[in-house]
Amino acid sequence: MTVPTIQTAGLTKGYGDICALKPLDLQVAEGEWLSVMGHSGSGKSTLMNLVGGLDRPSGGSLSVGGQDLSALSEDGLARFRREFVGIIFQQHHLVPYLSAVENVMLSQYFHSVPDEAEARLALERVGLGHRLKNRPGELSGGEQQRVCIARAIINSPKLLLGDEPTGNLDHKSTVMVLELLKELRAEDRFTVVLVTHNEEVAAWGDRTIYLDDGVLVREERLRS
Amino acid sequence: MNRRRWLIKLLLAALAHRTGRTLLLLSVLAMASSLATALGVVSLSMGKRVSEEVRKYGANLVVVPAAARLEVGSGGLNFGAISDPAYLDQGRVEKALASGGLKAERSFHLRGALRMKDADVLVEGVNFADVRRLFPWWQLRGGWPGPGETVVGSDLAQRLKLKAGDTVELTGTAQTLKLKVSGVVVTGGEEDDLFFLALPELQGALGLPGQLTEVRLLVSAEGDTLKDKAAALQPLLPDAKVREVRQIARTSEGLLAKVKLLMTLVTAVVLISAGSSVTGTMSTTVLERSREIGLMKAIGGTRWEVLLIFCGEALLLGVVGGVVGYLLGSGIAVFITRTVFSAAPEFIPWLSAVSLAVSLFLALLGSVGPMISVFKLDPVRSLRGE
Repeated sequence: MTVPTIQTAGLTKGYGDICALKPLDLQVAEGEWLSVMGHSGSGKSTLMNLVGGLDRPSGGSLSVGGQDLSALSEDGLARFRREFVGIIFQQHHLVPYLSAVENVMLSQYFHSVPDEAEARLALERVGLGHRLKNRPGELSGGEQQRVCIARAIINSPKLLLGDEPTGNLDHKSTVMVLELLKELRAEDRFTVVLVTHNEEVAAWGDRTIYLDDGVLVREERLRS
Repeated sequence: MNRRRWLIKLLLAALAHRTGRTLLLLSVLAMASSLATALGVVSLSMGKRVSEEVRKYGANLVVVPAAARLEVGSGGLNFGAISDPAYLDQGRVEKALASGGLKAERSFHLRGALRMKDADVLVEGVNFADVRRLFPWWQLRGGWPGPGETVVGSDLAQRLKLKAGDTVELTGTAQTLKLKVSGVVVTGGEEDDLFFLALPELQGALGLPGQLTEVRLLVSAEGDTLKDKAAALQPLLPDAKVREVRQIARTSEGLLAKVKLLMTLVTAVVLISAGSSVTGTMSTTVLERSREIGLMKAIGGTRWEVLLIFCGEALLLGVVGGVVGYLLGSGIAVFITRTVFSAAPEFIPWLSAVSLAVSLFLALLGSVGPMISVFKLDPVRSLRGE
């Protein structure tokens, strides 16, 4: 039996008096695609931030890739993120003064050594081999999201997190991005946790969990 | 591409992206360091220049005999003071000056009264070569005297109706001198009422060989104060009094000190203003780039690694600002020293390091607050734009 990539037990997160995530027990298997559904304020982004090592739990246990994240220091969490996690943001968050290839190389810089050939290859994998030198302002929303995906996969992460990665895209671009993620997962065999409020997007995953007011209210397995 | 090259490329791209703000920061840093450079050069050049200017006013130290002074009075009445005529021994003075290691130009004087017809006239024996060097403001109508010749002060010449080419007979206690007037001197001072002749001739006429009534010294006003130099010389001449020619010496020293203080204060104010300006601009930059900072942390940059990028930007600006400031400051210094002091500025190589240090110090000090924000910034909140 393989060790789950993500394992939580009684995981909670509070901000002052507000409890954003109530005790949550969750396991995500290696290579699984988990979709996290819920309305705004349901706790889905909080869960993603905790799993990605961007935030610290208030209680319970959280293990990702066999590492107890609550035991890591702030810089330890940063090192965990660069070694283990790739993140795709809804807003892309590309550096405006860097070209597409340089944005990908920025992730390499924090991980190890910037390698332009590898960064080019990553952009070619997401279909942007012809847009290497373009800056984010010169790219469409879908293209920017693909640069964001290239940046997320460049360091061969074990876990890919998407926070509403298609939230700002039209239907065509959404399908294109999800197809791409599916292909990349098949090749690289990373685990995907994708936060969305769109049923169609969630349906691309193997399993969907539904959060409401910080509580896991429903779970649906779509494929094994 | 190695990490260092990539970092420099990243820094340059970030600075180029915010051209306006980068230029503003560079201008502030360059202005502050150029001012420090210019004032440094001017201040150092000024000390030398003022010293040279003071030289034009002649001697700044005077050595006179410490004459015995006796108060005369009786029954509560004071009739004043009498003092024995006292002289300095020329040989002892020369020896004292040599042993004191005092670098000074000197002029030996003997003043006394000689009889001309049936009246006494004041006569001063000098070395005319020294006089010409130390008292350049003397205006002479006629020529400088040779052996057997004299120059006469303008007021005295007018009273005695003397002019260049006339002959006078001056009688002392030991000799009578028959002298030809070679010229008439105008100084605007007491010299206008005196005869001047060669020192050995007057010493001979008065029967005072090797004796002096006054030694005038011109020492450099740089470094130690004149008061210190006078104090150092005094023990070597126990039978004499070493005095400053206070008016000029003190004024030049005081003026120099005040101008330097003013320059220091102006520099301090400018540096404080520049530091505040750097802090303000860097704070705005960090605020604007909070999402970028959050992203860097989210994709795996540790707090120190992200901080290094922003410190690198500040350092780069500091270096460029320092170099530009030094060049600009040197130009300003040339302009000021040429227009105000009519002199070439004195360039001091280590001022380039000072300029660079000022710029770097301001860039880093001004960035401390913003850098703390960079260090503490929470990636989740900054990516949400909070």
